[in-house]
Amino acid sequence: MTKMLDDYALLSPLRYTNNWLKIGVVGFGILMGISSQSPLVPFSIAICMSLATLIFGRVPPKFYLKLLMGPAVFVVFSIIIIAFFFGSGPELFGFNVLDYHLGVNTGGLSMAFLVFSRTLGGMCCLFFLALTTPMVELFSVLKKTRLPDSFIELSMMMYRYIFVFLDVAWCIKHAQTVRLGYHDLRTSLHSMAMLCSTLFLRSWEQGEKTFVAMNARCYDGKMMIFEEKRPVNFSEVALSLGYMVAIVGVWYVSNGMLEVSLW
Amino acid sequence: MVILETRGLKYSYPDGTTAVKGVDIKLKKGKRIAFVGKNGSGKSTLFLLLNGTLKPAEGRIFYDGKELAYDQASLREIRKNIGIVFQNSDDQVFAPTVYQDVAFGPVNLGYSKAEIEKKVNGTLEYFGLSGLKDKPPHHLSGGQKKRVAIAGIVAMDPQAIILDEPLASLDPVGADELLDVLHELNHMGTSLIISTHDVDLAYSWADYVFFMVDGEVIGEGTPDEAFQDDELLRQAHLKRPMTFDIYKEIERRGLAHGNRQPKTVPEIVDSLKPPELMWVEVPPETREGDILNLGVLHGEYALHCPYEAVNARVLHIHENNKAIVELTRHGIKAGGILIYDMDRFDPADFEGYMEKEEIDIVGAMGKKSKLLAEDYSICVDIATGVIDRTILMALCGKRCMILTSGGMIPHSMQRINEYIERSGIALNVRVLNEN
Repeated sequence: MTKMLDDYALLSPLRYTNNWLKIGVVGFGILMGISSQSPLVPFSIAICMSLATLIFGRVPPKFYLKLLMGPAVFVVFSIIIIAFFFGSGPELFGFNVLDYHLGVNTGGLSMAFLVFSRTLGGMCCLFFLALTTPMVELFSVLKKTRLPDSFIELSMMMYRYIFVFLDVAWCIKHAQTVRLGYHDLRTSLHSMAMLCSTLFLRSWEQGEKTFVAMNARCYDGKMMIFEEKRPVNFSEVALSLGYMVAIVGVWYVSNGMLEVSLW
Repeated sequence: MVILETRGLKYSYPDGTTAVKGVDIKLKKGKRIAFVGKNGSGKSTLFLLLNGTLKPAEGRIFYDGKELAYDQASLREIRKNIGIVFQNSDDQVFAPTVYQDVAFGPVNLGYSKAEIEKKVNGTLEYFGLSGLKDKPPHHLSGGQKKRVAIAGIVAMDPQAIILDEPLASLDPVGADELLDVLHELNHMGTSLIISTHDVDLAYSWADYVFFMVDGEVIGEGTPDEAFQDDELLRQAHLKRPMTFDIYKEIERRGLAHGNRQPKTVPEIVDSLKPPELMWVEVPPETREGDILNLGVLHGEYALHCPYEAVNARVLHIHENNKAIVELTRHGIKAGGILIYDMDRFDPADFEGYMEKEEIDIVGAMGKKSKLLAEDYSICVDIATGVIDRTILMALCGKRCMILTSGGMIPHSMQRINEYIERSGIALNVRVLNEN
């Protein structure tokens, strides 16, 4: 079976650090990155968060790069389009395609650069959260946000059974593959449809079985969500504060300089 | 005392198949009861009826002598007291972490927060799951998931636990560990009811067995009686238990004592004592039927233990004071079995005992003891079937130590003493670090 983001988060050394601290650091990074007019801020955020993920979170660098490559493809396409079609200022280079002039100017290029850096910064922040905070920890965070209990209970059970059905789906897929269920497009579509319908029926049955099992343990329509106590230690707070002060500093300097240069 | 009783219990599924066709049974308190039958014989449906999950079409269920009324309060009471562990742990373990799953029952029983924490942590430790409490169930092995499922039930303090095919899909070591846990739970007074199609398990484990075929109970009794009946076994689509089969074959060849029901390997070994006849010289006043004390034999004259006290019963007196005698041997100074209580584990103290008692073989029983032994790098020679195998080792003159804790200590003492009583071979058994 493939290893999922959640598996990394469950085994992460940062799993037991305070969830609110992690969410605070990530939220701060995203807000600062978006509000900055200079690509320098999101870039420094991206570097800091990546280092935190790799060093403190002990995520294998190869896996982390692979993870970044996914969204990177979309980002590259969009910044090419932005570079060519947006912005103003002196043209840097250009060419004609069937009597239509395409060119990149300084404004477009800097905008493309800014969009790229903001996306990268945001992605690194979110991956940090995703790779260090598993769902099971987020449930107690959700509880604190006063979402309806039934909503959280449902999501807890959905989380659990996603993995059960993933196993079932894999088993069915293997069983189909060994009998040549995916050897061309037609059979693949057919096999996939069979897999989906079987999975639907299985989940229906599972629902009934789970209900019986819960009843057998005196279920009365209420589950308790446990809030975990995750104490914050001094070095974590100091490091986070240091990071925040540094980013705010970079923000002031880079945005201020930008204003000066524009004037 | 009867904990559960059914009268004329019938149940049909909505699609018309009748799964239970009039079952009358009485389940006694504190016993180990096995329902044996092939797949689809209605065992699982009967179990769901027994704790009130399904409502019978006809018939009545009595819990502790009171008829089950199927209103909210009585359903709650019976479900608290009769826990049920399903065959597939994934049906049962639904919470995102082990801790939350085990806490589910106590929460529903309305315990206070502090009580829940104490109960859940205690249960997790007992089942050797403390290290896994924050893990999601999909990171656990089949055996671990099974233990979580059982822990979730045990945390509710039921009087009886029903287990549907508890050993299915477990590896041999996992199955053995689970059996240890079940033995201990039973020893602490919990009645256990299991379903199985494994005749070996039912024969060696249960106090009482029911045979089920097509939704009916066709026979019941102690395993000794029930598994003797070849016709009953044939009707139930079952075969003889392996140990019993082996014993029967050996007995037929005249190599073992007759009329026994060995359930474990030591018991088979013990039955391998063909009558030994010998010519001896006897004093003139000896008569047939007298018992003579031949003293202590050792070396090649002692067959089973390093030293044996040998008595001889005079069968026939010949001329010249010669007689034919049948020998009975009693092992003395066989190896010993010493039990070490891991609840009071202390490394230095433990090493001291290892030296002083000249221990050859160490066996660990129970998850907690095994984990502790692993933590302190104690070399464990026997990890499965501990009691049976230490008895076999002790019979060969080895000195064995069993590492265990809690209710498994009196349980082991009882099992070993039972063996000593039945076989007449004196093994030295005691608990080392009692206070």
